[in-house]
Amino acid sequence: MDLADKEYVERCRDGHPEDFRLLVHRYQGPLFSYLTGQLGDRSQAEEAAQESFVRAFQSLQKLRKPESFYSWLLGIAGRVAKEQFRSLKRRQQDREVAEVMMTEPADDHAEYQLDEAIAVLPEAYRQVILLRFYEELSCQEVAQRLKMPLGTVTKTLSRAYALLRQELQARESAERTVYQTEQP
Amino acid sequence: MNCAECRDNLVAYIEGLLEREESLQCEAHLETCASCRAEYAAIAKLQQRLVARGRAAAGVSIVEPVMRRVLQQQTKPERNTIMSLLLKHRWGFGLSTAAGTAAIILIIVLASPKTQATAAEVMAKGAQAVAKLTSIHLRGQLRALPADNFGIINSDSEFCPIELWKQFEPELKWRIEKPGRVAVMDGQSTVMFIKTANLAVKVPEPLKTEPDTDWLQKVANLSNTISNELDNARTKGWKLSREKKRADDGRIKDVVTIEAKSSQPDNDYLKNRFFDGADTRRIYVFDGQTALLESVKIYLHAALGNKLIFELDQIDYNQPIDSAVFQLELPANVSWFQNEMQKLPDNEKYASMTAEQAARAYFEALGRQDWTEAEKFRRFTVDDQTKQIAGGLEIVSIGTAFTPKSYPGRFVPYEIKLKSGDVRKGNLALKKDGKTGRWWDDGG
Repeated sequence: MDLADKEYVERCRDGHPEDFRLLVHRYQGPLFSYLTGQLGDRSQAEEAAQESFVRAFQSLQKLRKPESFYSWLLGIAGRVAKEQFRSLKRRQQDREVAEVMMTEPADDHAEYQLDEAIAVLPEAYRQVILLRFYEELSCQEVAQRLKMPLGTVTKTLSRAYALLRQELQARESAERTVYQTEQP
Repeated sequence: MNCAECRDNLVAYIEGLLEREESLQCEAHLETCASCRAEYAAIAKLQQRLVARGRAAAGVSIVEPVMRRVLQQQTKPERNTIMSLLLKHRWGFGLSTAAGTAAIILIIVLASPKTQATAAEVMAKGAQAVAKLTSIHLRGQLRALPADNFGIINSDSEFCPIELWKQFEPELKWRIEKPGRVAVMDGQSTVMFIKTANLAVKVPEPLKTEPDTDWLQKVANLSNTISNELDNARTKGWKLSREKKRADDGRIKDVVTIEAKSSQPDNDYLKNRFFDGADTRRIYVFDGQTALLESVKIYLHAALGNKLIFELDQIDYNQPIDSAVFQLELPANVSWFQNEMQKLPDNEKYASMTAEQAARAYFEALGRQDWTEAEKFRRFTVDDQTKQIAGGLEIVSIGTAFTPKSYPGRFVPYEIKLKSGDVRKGNLALKKDGKTGRWWDDGG
C-alpha cells in the first residue's frame, strides 16, 4: 500500500488518476500546515491546499523528478498562497486589515522553514517524519505500518532529525548572510 | 554507556522505548555529559516543533474535494453522465426543478441491484447536498458513561444522550454535550469540561475539532464525513452497500451500509473501545429526493452479534442557533489542565522512572494523601472527588505495562483497594511528557 511517491506519480501519469488520492492523503497534513503558516488562516489554507493539489495534478506530466513530488508541490503551494494573498488584498476594502493579515504569517516564518526542510529530506526519512508527526502514529505503529523493526524506526527518526537540523542551520545561516548583505 | 551509545539511543529514550536498565544508563550518561545533554535538548526541541506542526494539521481532510475536482477534469468528455449532472448542481434546501428532476432520474438508475458504485453515488450526492450548510444540530444517544470521553464506547452501558450544535456561518462555533461532559468552541478558544470531576481543559485556539470529539465532529461535517467514508471504503477496502426503501409515508429512502474495519489488531487493548478504533456497521439513511442525511445508526461488530451503540435520530439543518449555546459557564473552583508541565528541582528522579514505577509512586502518593506528590504525575490538580475516592488507597498489585496500538503512551495494569473496601482493577494510562520526561496520568 505504501509505495514511494515516484511510483504513485508514474501510475497517475499512466492513466490511473485514482492513485493521486494516495499522494493527497500522504501530503495533505504537511501541506496544510505549511499553508496555514503562509496564510495565517485555516480556511484559506484549506482552499489553497486543494488548489495546489489540483494544479499539481494538472502539471504532473511536467514534473521532471517524480521522487521530488512533495518539494515540487510546496513550490506550487507557495505560488498559490501568493496569488491568494494578492486576491485577498484586492478584495479587502480596509487596507489596514489586509496589511495585518499580510504581516501575520511572518511570525510563523521559522516554522515553514521547517516544512521546507521536511520537503527536501530523502523520502525514507520524510515518510517516517510524516507518519510520526502528521499522522500522529507511535513509533510502534510506524514500525507496523512500514513493516520494519522498531529499532530501524528510531534510527531513521534519529537520522531524519540530524538532517533536518543541518538543513535548518543551512537555511538560517543563508538567511543571515542575505540579511547582512542587505544592510546599508 | 558512552557518548556514541547514548546518541544512538537518544530517540528511543525520548520516545520512552528503552528498557529500564538502558534508560537508566542513558539518563546517567546525560547527567555527566554536557555535549550529549545539548544533543538531547536539540532533539527534544525539534521534536516539539514537529509535534506542533503535526497538530496544526489535525483534522484536515481534503482528499475527496481534491479528487472530485481531479476526476471531473479527467472525465470532461463524458460530462453528460448522470453523476456529472448531479455533481454540477449545487444542491439547496428549496430544491430547484432541475434538482428534483435529477433526483428522480437517480432513483430510476439506482433501482438496479446493489453495488459498491451505486452506494458510492448515493454518498457522493449526500455529500453534495450538505456542502453548504450554515448550521447543524444533531441529537442522538450512545452507549457510554455520561462523563467518559466522547469517543469511548461502552457497549455494556445504557444509552446516554448526546447533542451537537455546530454553526458554520458567519463564524465557526460548536458545542458537544453529554450529561457529564461538554466541549465548546466559541470562535476564540476551545474548552472541554468534565462536569463530574470539575476539571477543564482550555486550548486558546478555535479548534475545528479536538481528538476526543473528532468522530462526532466528523458526523457534523456531513459533507466531509460522507466523503471520508467513501475515501476509507476505497482505500481500506470497506464494504459499501445500498438499498432503496419506501418509508411509511411513501417517501423513498436511500440506505447506505458501510462495514468499517478498524486498523487495530483484534487482541489490542483499545480495540472496540473507541469509535475510531472499532469494527462497526454504519447505516446512513438519506432522503431519496433531497439527498439529505436523515439518520445514522452505528452497530458494534461483536462476537455475539451486532449491537447498536450509537443512534443519531434528529438532524436539524440551517436552523439559527442561540448564541448562548456557545458560551460555557464554569465553576470558579474549576481545576484546569496544565498545557505545559514544569520541570521539578528533582525532575530526573521522576523522568528516570519506568511506567510501572511511576504508577506505583503515583498510587502510593494518593494512598498517603500526599496531593503535592501525586500532582507530579498529573496535569490537573487533585480534585475533591479524587481525594475522596483515592485517598487512603492500598496497592494490591501493579502489572507489566503495555502499549496498545494507536496510543502514544503506556497502560499499567493495577489492582487497588480503596479505603471504602472496594477493590478496583484497571489499566492506568500514562503518557511521557516530552519536555520534562515525566509520566502523567491520562486516565483509566
